[in-house]
Amino acid sequence: MTGRRRQDWLGYLFVAPYLLLFGAFLVGPLLYGLRLSLFRWEMLNATPPAFIGLGNYREAFSDPNFWKALWATLRMVVWITPCTVLLALFTALGLHSLRGRRQGLYRAAYFVPTMLTITVVGILWRWFYHPDLGLFNSCLQAWFGLKAPWFSDAAWATAAIVIMTVWWTMGGPMVILLAGLQGVPVQYAEAATLDGAGPLQRLWYVTLPILRPVLLFTVALNTIGAFQIFGQTYLVTRGGPEYATRTLVHLIYDTAFQNYRLGYAAALSWLMFLLIGAFAVMQFRMLRER
Amino acid sequence: MNRRAALKAIVLASLPGVAGCGSRRDGKVVIRFWNGFTGPDGGTTLTLVRQFNRANPGIDLRMQRIEWPVYYRKLYVAGLGGRAPEVFVLHTDSLRRFAEAGMVRPIDDLVGTAFPVADIDQNVWRAAQLGGKHYGLPIDVHPLCLYYNRRLLREAGFERPPTDLAEFLAVARRITRASRDPEGVRWGFSISNPSPTVYSVMRQFGGEVFTSDYSRCTLAAPANVAALQLLADLIHKERVAAPFMDFDPWVGFRQGKVGMTWNGIFMLPDLQKQKDLDFAAAPVACLGKRPAVWGNTHNFCLRAGLAPREAEAAWRFIRFYSDHALDWAEAGQVPARRSLRASRRFRDMAVQSQCAAEVPYVTYMPQIPFLFEFQTELDLAVERALRGTATAAEALATAEANVNKIIARRSAEGAAEVRR
Repeated sequence: MTGRRRQDWLGYLFVAPYLLLFGAFLVGPLLYGLRLSLFRWEMLNATPPAFIGLGNYREAFSDPNFWKALWATLRMVVWITPCTVLLALFTALGLHSLRGRRQGLYRAAYFVPTMLTITVVGILWRWFYHPDLGLFNSCLQAWFGLKAPWFSDAAWATAAIVIMTVWWTMGGPMVILLAGLQGVPVQYAEAATLDGAGPLQRLWYVTLPILRPVLLFTVALNTIGAFQIFGQTYLVTRGGPEYATRTLVHLIYDTAFQNYRLGYAAALSWLMFLLIGAFAVMQFRMLRER
Repeated sequence: MNRRAALKAIVLASLPGVAGCGSRRDGKVVIRFWNGFTGPDGGTTLTLVRQFNRANPGIDLRMQRIEWPVYYRKLYVAGLGGRAPEVFVLHTDSLRRFAEAGMVRPIDDLVGTAFPVADIDQNVWRAAQLGGKHYGLPIDVHPLCLYYNRRLLREAGFERPPTDLAEFLAVARRITRASRDPEGVRWGFSISNPSPTVYSVMRQFGGEVFTSDYSRCTLAAPANVAALQLLADLIHKERVAAPFMDFDPWVGFRQGKVGMTWNGIFMLPDLQKQKDLDFAAAPVACLGKRPAVWGNTHNFCLRAGLAPREAEAAWRFIRFYSDHALDWAEAGQVPARRSLRASRRFRDMAVQSQCAAEVPYVTYMPQIPFLFEFQTELDLAVERALRGTATAAEALATAEANVNKIIARRSAEGAAEVRR
């Protein structure tokens, strides 16, 4: 065996455990789901599953619940992604200007919420938003004499989910962006300063262009994450009011595990997969541009 | 203990769990028992399970408690894979879908003549029956009941809770208006368990939600519309019921801000924790023309395909549990057996004995395999009407049309299957 061939063989050996798991737990179920989506597969029916081609996909396009869930999801994506990334960027810029242990301390503090599970976060924030006893309404009542309809108004319920999601997820992108900022060579900023650039100009013309790949990466990751939002709506608003915050994953969950319509749920999952895929491809094209 | 010994101990300790059902080496019959009793009721059940194991050395009963929503999914999937436990609990409204899927063993041969079937109310026993066979032993009935704040009622000039619409409105109005709080935070009534409350009033108005053969949904029938509209009017017109969703109706009752609310008898332990609340319970008021109230029942069921020895052991446990249903009643239940309800011990349980009067006219949700899909539509209609974003007629018409679409889809699939 030549050295080159042995090296190849060793390489495959190293990736084999991951490939095995990736195939068994991701690619396999994905393809099985695709097959499932072409069947009428209802666990509550005594009749065995039957092949119906694209019937489930046709049903989705004429199902008002699907469209409602899609709009609810898009609303979340449109708010959550920019809010999270911008806040993470500003926080990272702030932390970047700090030095030494103080930076480490604040970075850890901002990152802590990310480490909590959604169950803890959901139960906690449901209490924060409680109409009578909640932290937010108590403050609003004390300061302005009013109460926010966090659960009973669609716009407020969406805002409730967006706020808690930004709080919960901001730590991840913040750490990535901070690492990106630390990789920006100091010489460029110094040169710009010598040329008379102010702090905002340095940020806009020097830092952000260099940070662009990292920024786009965090935007892509956040968009994918926001599309998959489920725990927050399931635990905090329970999809309400009137299913205005029931997102696609929430609908898929209800379809599969409440109504036991596995074929239809698989079709909905594949539609979501294609949608996220399209967004991801679009974003990575933008990433490749320069 | 060194590391290897510790590992060995862990592996050995986990073996019985892996072994699952069947017989142990020592000849004991292993019976797995799953339920959703994760509240205070779980503690009562655990005590009973221990008692049973002590009294039956030949049986090893192992209980697993899982939150209800997860429980039903887990049970269904386990049933599909043939790994369901030997004994499990099914609510009456879920009985049919599990029985139709072939997962439940009829118990008629085990009941035989030894069990006092006549001791169980006919409506409760009949509800466990499908196609002439009984698929579970009803242990209890847990209806909605009228919880009321005695102090607020007294302050409003009432000594006893209302029993009909006129009295109900009088009490609710007086409590709401007697409020001196500038925010008006004393409410006569709050809807803390919406769909069961609405369903109870629909049935009191004589409404049916399906035709008798379940071929068509009739949610938008005039009686149902009138019932839902009445409850919506209590909030929006009469302004004697707390606003829907902008007020926590149950916490509000616990805080003493609400005069009356209808909720399950199983919520009793929650109220008992509230030491400063002067509350009592009564049968729900009849707001329509006949008494009716939503309720449900825990049926203890056996897995289909049990070996005779397992079936006998499992039945012995179910029988034991039914005989000890008074212990179970302490956790906020009404025993399904009349003889237990007649006992002094039960009559001393103030809330439970009051709600026992509701058992003869308790009404279950329709036993349909697509219960969750129906429930989703009903919940949405109730929410729309009670929030005031639609009239009861509009909300129920939409729900009815959607449920009929589900029925059409299911029957088309059934027909396609027959053709295949």
